[in-house]
Amino acid sequence: MSQSTTILDVNQVWKSYCRQLKRSMWYGVKDLGRQLSGRAGARDPQHLRPGEFHAIRDAHFQMQRGECVAMIGPNGAGKSTMLKMINGLIKPDSGSITIRGRIGALIELGTGFNPILSGRENIYINGAVLGMQKSEVDRLFDQIVDFSELEHVIDSPVKTYSTGMKVRLGYSIAANLRPTLLLMDEVLAVGDVGFRMKCFAHLRKLVDEGVSIIIVTHAVAMLSRVATRSIVFGQGRIIHDGDLETGTIIYEEELSTRATAHQAAATDNEASTTVARIENVQTCDESGESQAEFETGETIALRIELGCDQPISRARLVVALCSPVHGELGSVSTPHQQFEFALEPPGQTIVLTLPRFPLMLGSYHFDISLYGPETTDFYHRSCGRGSFRIVGPPLDANGYGLFGALKLEHHWKSEH
Amino acid sequence: MQNAEPRQLEPDDLHEVTHYSSESEIRDPLKLLADIVGDAMRGRQLAWRLFLRNIRGMYRQTLLGLFWAFLPPIANTAIWIFLRSQNVFDSGDTTVHPTLFILTGMILWQAFVDAFQMPLQVVSSNRNMISKLHFPRESLLMVGVGEVLFNLAIRMLLLIPAFAYFQVVPGSHAFAFPFAAAGLILVGLSMGLLIMPLGSLYQDVGRFITMALPFWMIITPIIYAPLKPWPASMLNWLNPPAPLLILSRDLLLGSPLEHLWPGVAFGVAALLLFIPALFVYRISMPVLIERMSA
Repeated sequence: MSQSTTILDVNQVWKSYCRQLKRSMWYGVKDLGRQLSGRAGARDPQHLRPGEFHAIRDAHFQMQRGECVAMIGPNGAGKSTMLKMINGLIKPDSGSITIRGRIGALIELGTGFNPILSGRENIYINGAVLGMQKSEVDRLFDQIVDFSELEHVIDSPVKTYSTGMKVRLGYSIAANLRPTLLLMDEVLAVGDVGFRMKCFAHLRKLVDEGVSIIIVTHAVAMLSRVATRSIVFGQGRIIHDGDLETGTIIYEEELSTRATAHQAAATDNEASTTVARIENVQTCDESGESQAEFETGETIALRIELGCDQPISRARLVVALCSPVHGELGSVSTPHQQFEFALEPPGQTIVLTLPRFPLMLGSYHFDISLYGPETTDFYHRSCGRGSFRIVGPPLDANGYGLFGALKLEHHWKSEH
Repeated sequence: MQNAEPRQLEPDDLHEVTHYSSESEIRDPLKLLADIVGDAMRGRQLAWRLFLRNIRGMYRQTLLGLFWAFLPPIANTAIWIFLRSQNVFDSGDTTVHPTLFILTGMILWQAFVDAFQMPLQVVSSNRNMISKLHFPRESLLMVGVGEVLFNLAIRMLLLIPAFAYFQVVPGSHAFAFPFAAAGLILVGLSMGLLIMPLGSLYQDVGRFITMALPFWMIITPIIYAPLKPWPASMLNWLNPPAPLLILSRDLLLGSPLEHLWPGVAFGVAALLLFIPALFVYRISMPVLIERMSA
């Protein structure tokens, strides 16, 4: 670790897993043998045994004091594996992780709770599991109960608590840890909105105190309340390490790529057998120049190149705007604006213009369908086309600016 | 809490440096041992909390409560006494009444079995916690040992009325009983630690143990006096719990100490085995966690 403010140094870390149960167990025996004989570390990290895949490939990053990093990526991208290695639960196959200071982890709130015992008893147990001394818990007991807002049920068995109540109790205990590096894995996805806001306020306070935080979550919208930097994982690799806004967009693109990959393959196959098809799709600016990055409020034009083998009169196009996070956001059709066109071989280009585009930061794409005049005259559907990004303006999740998916036209006024 | 003054991290907070790599900790056994001892010290409060949690939770939702701790040795002894009364087997020269002899043997055997099965059980029953939280793993072993000792102590209470009823006074060497019993538990614990990694990976191990335990008990001199003629006497040497179980029982019942040296030898061997067994437990944990969560 080169600088005194660097509290985490992840250096060329590789990790592989095996999905096949029996092989995985056998590799476990072999790995155990290597560890016990002191031969571990000699393995070439790029070499995979049969059935293995790289959960983490050559990951490399550092964190400074007081930094809050969001680790995002689709399921199976490697973020939880990375968190487990930083937490010391599993070892890297290759590379090293160095941490300066005390690590605290909020991985699954309430782990170690005994449902038969009361909330009061479980506060002491969970405190001990998280590394707190009894005297520390004694001192903080009232604050923990206050923060959890569970005074009225603190002497009831935890099994009578709702999931949200257990999470509140779990977070309230863990919130009193004062680590140098705090690891959080999907723990803020549950609980009511009020308590979640309280947790975010608490996390911001920790960051102000110099605590570094790594948050792993799929709920990227709320990350801007605390995180300033994002590390995006895709298929075990770090595909982005930088500002949160760009990271969020890249994450959405990664989701979109996954979701549309097999659909695209299926529709490509359909295209080869149909008499009319969607060929090329491209987003452009107002002047018709190809462009894939826009700001909210700009005009986006979609050039759709259609091909056909025979004439089709009164063809119809249906274009749906989609987000990998929010799903289908809206759909338009040519008949809605009485726009009629006929397809003549070899085809033609149709341009759809979306003025004053209202959506905010994120990654978007189109699902396009080509029909004939009747409802049953279906020719081709092409998904995940014309992907583009909205890269500005920045969002503000703290209530001082614009936030959410949609930029609302609005005016404020005061009435007496 | 939310109103508390921000406490800036002190420079001291950053002195602790943790380094993780693929290198095996076994390469530096002294450091590994120091880490194990350090973590055991750090984890002792956690162990105590978890021990209390388990003991309180164990009987809170039962009607008969602690009676369930007494039941297994009483039921086992009753069965064997009944079978013996039907001349199904002969206990041989037991020096004290066979009921007391069998009851004592059963209690000691149960302690050995508890210790032997404990490492696999604690890892299995705490896998959620192990795979999600970083805490001193040694504390789970301390909890397990605590439970083994707690159950042994509870069952030993059964011997008070039994000794009174059969008018047996513990011998002059009885003060050494705790050491021999500790040795017996250590033999079970060390063996349990060594098989834990394989048992956690393959359920075959647990199934085999469940199947083998009744046979193992039969070849251990619990319901009969130690066999003296050769080659049957070899069972007392080849069976790891036998020498210390015989010695513990002889010390408690005031019987002649015919198995003193085998007992001492196995006790020393168990002590020597315990440290590598702890190494195996600790080193295997990351490999097992991968398989728990992959």
